[in-house]
Amino acid sequence: MAVGGSAALSRLEFHVLLALAGGPLHGYAVAEAVAAESGGALVPRAGSLYRVVARLVSSRLVAETAPPGEAPAHPGLARRYYALTAAGRRLLAEEAGRLKRSAAVAEERLTLSRGRS
Amino acid sequence: VKRALVALVRLFPPAFRRRFGDEVAGLLAAGYDRARARGRRAAGGFALAAAADLVRSAVSERLNPTWSEPRARRAEEPEMRSTIDAWSADLRQAVRALRRAPGFTAVAAGTLALAIGATAGLYTVVDTVLLEPLPYAAVDRLVHVAASAPGSDMPPEFSLSSEFYLHYRERSRLVEEVSTYNSFTSTLRTADRVERIRMSWPTWTLFSTLGARPLLGRLPNAADEENAVVLSHALWQSWFGGDPGVVGRELDVNGASRTVIGVMAPEFQFPNDGTQLWISNEIGLEEIRPGRFQSRIVARTKPGVTPEQLAAELTTLARQLPERFGGTANYARLIEQHRAVVRPLAEQLLGGVATPLWILLAAGGVVLLVACANVANLFLVRAEARQRDLAVRRAIGAGRAQLVRLQMAEALVVAALAGAFAVGLAALLLPVLLRAAPAGIPRLDEVGLGAATLLFAAAAAVASALACGLLPALRASAPDLTRLREGGRGSTRRRRWARHLLVAGQTALALVLLIGSGLLLRSFAELRAVDPGYDVASVLTFQFAPQQAQLADGPSWARFHLDFLDRLAALPGVESVGLVENVPLNEGTAPVRVFPEGAAIDAEAGTLVNVTFAAGDYFRTMGVALEAGRSFVADDHLLGTGNAVVSRTLANRLWPGEDPLGRRLRTQVGDVTVTVVGVVEDVLQDSFRDAPQALVYLPLAGPKPDSWQISSPAYVVKSARAETLAAEVRELVRQVAPEAPVYRVFTLAGLARDSMVELSFTLLTLAIASGLALVLGAVGLYGVLSYVVAERTREIGVRMALGARATEVRRMVVGQGARVVLAGVAVGVLGAVAATRALESLLFGVAPVDLGTFAAMSAAMLAVGLLASYVPAWRASRVSPVVSLRAE
Repeated sequence: MAVGGSAALSRLEFHVLLALAGGPLHGYAVAEAVAAESGGALVPRAGSLYRVVARLVSSRLVAETAPPGEAPAHPGLARRYYALTAAGRRLLAEEAGRLKRSAAVAEERLTLSRGRS
Repeated sequence: VKRALVALVRLFPPAFRRRFGDEVAGLLAAGYDRARARGRRAAGGFALAAAADLVRSAVSERLNPTWSEPRARRAEEPEMRSTIDAWSADLRQAVRALRRAPGFTAVAAGTLALAIGATAGLYTVVDTVLLEPLPYAAVDRLVHVAASAPGSDMPPEFSLSSEFYLHYRERSRLVEEVSTYNSFTSTLRTADRVERIRMSWPTWTLFSTLGARPLLGRLPNAADEENAVVLSHALWQSWFGGDPGVVGRELDVNGASRTVIGVMAPEFQFPNDGTQLWISNEIGLEEIRPGRFQSRIVARTKPGVTPEQLAAELTTLARQLPERFGGTANYARLIEQHRAVVRPLAEQLLGGVATPLWILLAAGGVVLLVACANVANLFLVRAEARQRDLAVRRAIGAGRAQLVRLQMAEALVVAALAGAFAVGLAALLLPVLLRAAPAGIPRLDEVGLGAATLLFAAAAAVASALACGLLPALRASAPDLTRLREGGRGSTRRRRWARHLLVAGQTALALVLLIGSGLLLRSFAELRAVDPGYDVASVLTFQFAPQQAQLADGPSWARFHLDFLDRLAALPGVESVGLVENVPLNEGTAPVRVFPEGAAIDAEAGTLVNVTFAAGDYFRTMGVALEAGRSFVADDHLLGTGNAVVSRTLANRLWPGEDPLGRRLRTQVGDVTVTVVGVVEDVLQDSFRDAPQALVYLPLAGPKPDSWQISSPAYVVKSARAETLAAEVRELVRQVAPEAPVYRVFTLAGLARDSMVELSFTLLTLAIASGLALVLGAVGLYGVLSYVVAERTREIGVRMALGARATEVRRMVVGQGARVVLAGVAVGVLGAVAATRALESLLFGVAPVDLGTFAAMSAAMLAVGLLASYVPAWRASRVSPVVSLRAE
């Protein structure tokens, strides 16, 4: 399985974790946050999104949570909220650090090669 | 669509579905609603992307689950589970079995894919053009109103005039809003561009009648009079680069300066003939001239009003018109005979293209049926070969349902494969179809592969799975247990009968299509053979409309055009030139009442004829033969001598059996009397299908200086270089009239081709469909006979060992094939008698039940059938008795 301590996260997985880092959200809000935060590069479709959610829940990076206090009880529309677990938060931090290091390397090389040419 | 999307969630495995199903469905519904708010196209795109993603994720989820649930809960919905489990086991087994028979799978899926793909492509066109509602609010309440006057000499149906509009609008109690409009081609001019475009002049009520809103700016109201214009989205984009600042600009439209007040959305196309802008208008009482039947009327009825009720009310209302508006005695008589014609707007706008499109879709459906019969036959043969296997299963306790399911699973897998290929095929086929389609099919540019295509392909795949799989499945459910005996064999009469029935059915269906395309082919040939009265080869036609202050009366117009004719004639390679007001095949002529000399103006003797103007070497350029008298000379145009040339039909109608030369007739045009100086051959003005019209040709100027001025005649140029002359013509026009755009530039040969494109397109598509059906039918027959021969190898071997000759064996097998084909042909002929009635409106010069075509096509079908039987027969006759007996 793709999700695990050290294995790389897929882009969609990363963005779902990123979206939940701000606090508990329901599925629709996750989809919107992912679309916005990826700058439109990812358009999460319902099927793929929930497979990712299922995988993250199975590997205990994300857990279902009680709706935030102010959320009105919506009759007929059972919205489930998801939140990061401690493990999820740790993994997201690790991944963010890794990305930052990669970005730094990339920037350095691009600057160098531009300087050379 | 939303419900279909949500239904796809069921593809996920139950565990995933129970935990996330509702959420996925909720997200889909919310996403769809949001996309729908952005328009149909966005919604379609969303549905497609979401459906593709659902299928992909569901398959991955089944192969590689991300979700499992505690064991305790698995026991839920046990019945459902067992069915699904059983089906998925059967499907897996079917996939394995089909993988072992790649040839069978490829032929069966390929045949179905071809037929489903073609039908899905045609359905996509029908869906967008015919089934998609027009983009107006409550479109079922919009009607088109026209006039008829049974018993008069007017055409069966004709336009109304503005007094009807005023009267309807004030008095009708069933109409909510009504508008009248005229459409024409006129000049649009800006500082840097001038062109002739299609425009419409509706009363300001048009937009509220249709329930349309502008994209930018506002819509006209009564106070705008004739000073405001609304632009189409296409015009806004192409002329003004989509600049919102266009609202408020002054444009020169149809010879007057008018203000742009609004821009319409792209889907607003009314009438759907390429109209680019709408000029505001309000008809006042003082403008009414009763009896100028030139206006179209569109109305919105109150809820629940039927077209019949409205027609009755409007007919009654019209009776009051002469009393209220006056008019001639002729007008009063016409109103007595008047019956309002009311039909749904959609029918009016799409009526002409509906028949051919439905016919093509039906032809696609027939091909699909033939393909299904073919594949069903393949499955029957396959089931036959598995009788032993099935018998063993039955003997060790498999239920009937189980055996049926196993067979159906194979059909489902084959059909699913076919459906997937069919969508790809439709994607390839659709652009070809659209390119070949005749111009003038509304909304053709909106046709594209979409959710409708996918749904149709999916539905067709499921239906064909049922059609192909059911018969073999039922057969398989009762396997012949005697097969279990050592060496058990022999196919029963009943089994063979089913296959023969399928082949006969295929033959019948293919024959119906063959006869249909045969009739269209005959019509096409008949139309090609029609002599239109003119020669279309090497003739270029174009128009331009000079707007110059000195062109103020008839003679100066005439001089301008005659001078230009001389310049044209001086171009290198030009044989002759002429001009005419309405060139055949391009524009219709206006009907006008004429009165032979001596008859009272308002008497019954008035005859409705068509009037046009001609000058230069028009008749020689067009190859219209001069039958008596002379053609026009320069003086006729310049001095207004009041001479006229008439067509043969007109001469025969007005002066039967007499010499028309020197006779005089009075026309409503310019209200003058003209003298006939020549008689010319009849021409077919609008289409090769109509009878020739009675036609009066007038010279460019009338007997009085102002009696007529024609602003934009069509020039005709006979030249071997007709195809390439346009650029030189434009340059010539620029020299004499830099202000005038050159437009309607065509070769007559091109116009003649266009006039037949509807028929040739239908013919081509139907011919392809019937060719396909013929091949499929032949392959089916061949397959069945081959199988029969293989099965009877032993019997044939014994016969030959006992002294039967090869020819006798061949005759036996071919005879068996011939009986099946004959039965099919008989049924097919009966089917064709019923079906060709639908083609009637497309046929020309041939009856729907044309004996020659029926006989020829039946003979062709029989010949193909015999050929298909002969190959297996020949193989049977080469059976070596020794080999066949040793095979035991």
